[in-house]
Amino acid sequence: MTEKHPDYKDKIVHTVCNSHCGGTCDFKVHVREGKIIRIESVPEENGRPSMCLRGHAYRQRVYSPDRLLHPQKRTGPRGSGEFTRISWDEALDTIADEMKRIKTVYGNASLLHFCSMCDPHLLHHVLAFHSLLCSFGGYTAPWGYISCEAYAFAKGVTFGKSSKLRYSGHTPEEYLESRLIIMWGWNPATTEMGSNMSLSLARAREKGARIIAVDPRHTDSAAAFSDEWIPIKPGTDAAVMLAMVYVIIKENLQDQHFIDRYTAGFDKFKDYVLGLEDGVAKTPQWAEAIGGVQAATIADLARDYACEKSAILGSSFGPGRSAFGEEYHRVAAALEAITGKVKREQYAPTVKDFGLLPPFPFPPNKVEEGAPPRWNAVPSRGPSVNSSARVNVSSLTDAILKGKAGGYPADYKFMWLSNNNYLNQLGNINKAIEAFNKLEFILVTEQFMTATARFADIVLPVCTFLERWDIMPAMDVFSTKRSDFTILNKAIEPLGESKSQLEICQALALKLGIAGYPDQTDEELVRQMVAIASETKKSKSEEASKKEASISQEPQLRTPSGKIELSSGIAEKMNHPQIPAVPKYIETWESLNDPLADKYPLQLITPHFKRRAHSQFDNLPWLRELQVQAISINSRDAEARGIQADDMVRVFNDRGEVRIPARVTERIMPGVVAVPQGGWYSPDENGIDYGGSANVLTSNVISPGGSFVSNTALVQIEKVGK
Amino acid sequence: MMQYGMYIDQNRCTGCFACVVACKDWHDVPAGPANWISIKTTEKGRYPNLFVAFLPTTCYHCITPACVLACPVEAVTKRAEDGIVTVDQDACLGKTDCGQCLEACSYDAPQFEAGEDAKMQKCDLCIDRWAEGKKPVCVMACPMQALDAGPLDELKEKRGGARETEGFTYDETLAPSILYKPKKNPYNP
Ligand code: SF4
Ligand code: SF4
Ligand code: SF4
Repeated sequence: MTEKHPDYKDKIVHTVCNSHCGGTCDFKVHVREGKIIRIESVPEENGRPSMCLRGHAYRQRVYSPDRLLHPQKRTGPRGSGEFTRISWDEALDTIADEMKRIKTVYGNASLLHFCSMCDPHLLHHVLAFHSLLCSFGGYTAPWGYISCEAYAFAKGVTFGKSSKLRYSGHTPEEYLESRLIIMWGWNPATTEMGSNMSLSLARAREKGARIIAVDPRHTDSAAAFSDEWIPIKPGTDAAVMLAMVYVIIKENLQDQHFIDRYTAGFDKFKDYVLGLEDGVAKTPQWAEAIGGVQAATIADLARDYACEKSAILGSSFGPGRSAFGEEYHRVAAALEAITGKVKREQYAPTVKDFGLLPPFPFPPNKVEEGAPPRWNAVPSRGPSVNSSARVNVSSLTDAILKGKAGGYPADYKFMWLSNNNYLNQLGNINKAIEAFNKLEFILVTEQFMTATARFADIVLPVCTFLERWDIMPAMDVFSTKRSDFTILNKAIEPLGESKSQLEICQALALKLGIAGYPDQTDEELVRQMVAIASETKKSKSEEASKKEASISQEPQLRTPSGKIELSSGIAEKMNHPQIPAVPKYIETWESLNDPLADKYPLQLITPHFKRRAHSQFDNLPWLRELQVQAISINSRDAEARGIQADDMVRVFNDRGEVRIPARVTERIMPGVVAVPQGGWYSPDENGIDYGGSANVLTSNVISPGGSFVSNTALVQIEKVGK
Repeated sequence: MMQYGMYIDQNRCTGCFACVVACKDWHDVPAGPANWISIKTTEKGRYPNLFVAFLPTTCYHCITPACVLACPVEAVTKRAEDGIVTVDQDACLGKTDCGQCLEACSYDAPQFEAGEDAKMQKCDLCIDRWAEGKKPVCVMACPMQALDAGPLDELKEKRGGARETEGFTYDETLAPSILYKPKKNPYNP
């Protein structure tokens, strides 16, 4: 896996970037005498992604002077950042003693462990922790994706399964063949995810495709790719799309053959759209009043989309991260279905598992035993994710604060956070702080003293992925051209006393007296997994091809009707007014009609930022100098407040206050402001944040289907002295 | 005389900064004011009718390099074999004591780190990589394949290209070695 470079005496190590953008870009790591001297990209081929700026800066991450290289014990109050270095032995003894004590006094359900989801590697990830904690008698695990729970919910109720988990649900190759591409809330120039989507869009445009951006912001993708920008108010996407459906039905532009053959519930959906159900016709005029998009623009978009066979609705996860974001994804799916633009093979059940599972013991999680499914469970998500014993990831802090009394399955006392920065990255940081302070013990495994780590009782130093072995499965996320798995080769030895996630679990297993936890090295385990995978691959792929063949003959989806459900049997059974059977527009809380808008008249959205992957990379000098963490505000809103470019402003609502510079721009809709999410929370003594951490302002309420609502928040902005 | 240069398809550039950081990593340039390549953003128009373009900017290894002519100690030279303009940092007098090259260059290409005795540095079109048969690191790092580099006449033949684009004016006196596929501004065609 490693080769000698002809000219240098350097070792070139091949691996795949493990950051939480999901990029999975190929790295060529140049190593000289045990030190990384540079990281080179591998140019795009077959739609594989090419490294972004963060990948190119990874060397600064590895050798950052801020790296945690020794276990740390908290000495000051939580959040103060006062820690002292301790030995691994002392750290592990303390953690093991606390885990045993809390288990005995409060039971296993009081132990929370949350790991980031969907990082593109298998071994040093959630399964390692899961195995350990299940062997310890169980724990409370999360359900739900922060990024895309609304999407997963919508696809589950409409198709019985998630499609290939891409931002827009389509492959790069499909874009190349398209003549009309709608980037709905989608900004691939900034949000890379495992394929070189931007290059495909540019190439499609060169071939003559028309590209339209529907977004509250004139994003860099809008700048680079679009022929037209249609600004839209946050939280109103479902309304505007429903009006498109209205035009399509009224003008008889739907694909009736596809509807009749492959969908169920069209008439019921149609009744709602035409206003027969509730007396409100979902006309373009109706949507214009809600979403701020001109009726004529909506009608044109509807016609163009319906009439162009190769049109693609690239609907991103972003608009789904708002109150009732499920409905946006459901309407988008309906729009695709009634125009016959759903590629059915995307939703057909497939067998993709080549047996690439780490050889850990997986006893059942006793905390979940006997627990019925949640009321809003979508069958395709599987029994564990659907267990009512779990806590929605975005409700973590609410669950800690309220516990059983608030309807959560248990009272929580211990929390272990790994591979995440949830104090920073979940809604309402000030509430999160209250919650974290309520816990008896917090363990954080980290590379840096993040906002989250500052609240830990013990912080264990984790090495970067360049300091360990791992393996990445062929996930649906990635380009179809990826091989079955990719090995993440170790480039250098772990820095300082830092350890891999696996080594941490192994060391704790010993202290907790758990037998049967694997004691091999990560390299040995990766080799073992590859061997098993190669054996099972052949039989599995034969099975898979048989299955796929039968699917194309008999297109049955895993929905109650076996068809694409425009009226969902799964949703109907939930019997919840905010999860209607047919996809609907439901006005968000904290909309501009909310009385709160008198005080806080601006809609805040919290998009991604180029120089970070969520909160990752915020501390690297090569990246910090490229973009200023600032709030984007339209020049009209700025003028009305006497704000000029680069003025320091206070952004606030009842949940908190952030002080950052203003980026006065034409590139955002008036009435909307944007703070890029992921800035590191850096409060002063009054709790005012100067790190530009957007979640000081967002809420920790979730949408009924389980979506994080990071794009539903009202704020006000005022100028402060320079 | 052989002249190397660059080609930039401005329509492809998304302002992603991959080239910028790749350059800093490859050439070990610390964070700070010295940037061998930067991204210039042009924003025009009023909401909602906007034109936005990104443009990577570097040293253009001019046919008549003003920096070479301006340097009192011949620290900047133009290589005969490929026309690449390079700097000898040991000879350079530094920005505070001299800075003539920066003054002379219309494109602000000469770069200096912070500090009194900072010596000139700038894009050398990755001479070290050509020696290994590789194109410059920015060219290879660009996920949009917006960039190319090589002998200018070959580039011209292969790709065509204009001398000017949104955010760049051709300086006849210097004759920069650069070709563009320009991005059209619908508001001032
Ligand atoms: S761009 Fe400036 S620095 Fe580069 S060769 Fe021309 S004059 Fe010299
Ligand atoms: S700063 Fe250095 S390179 Fe520039 S003109 Fe002066 S001596 Fe020459
Ligand atoms: S890497 Fe390419 S697309 Fe990105 S900023 Fe540089 S030239 Fe533009």
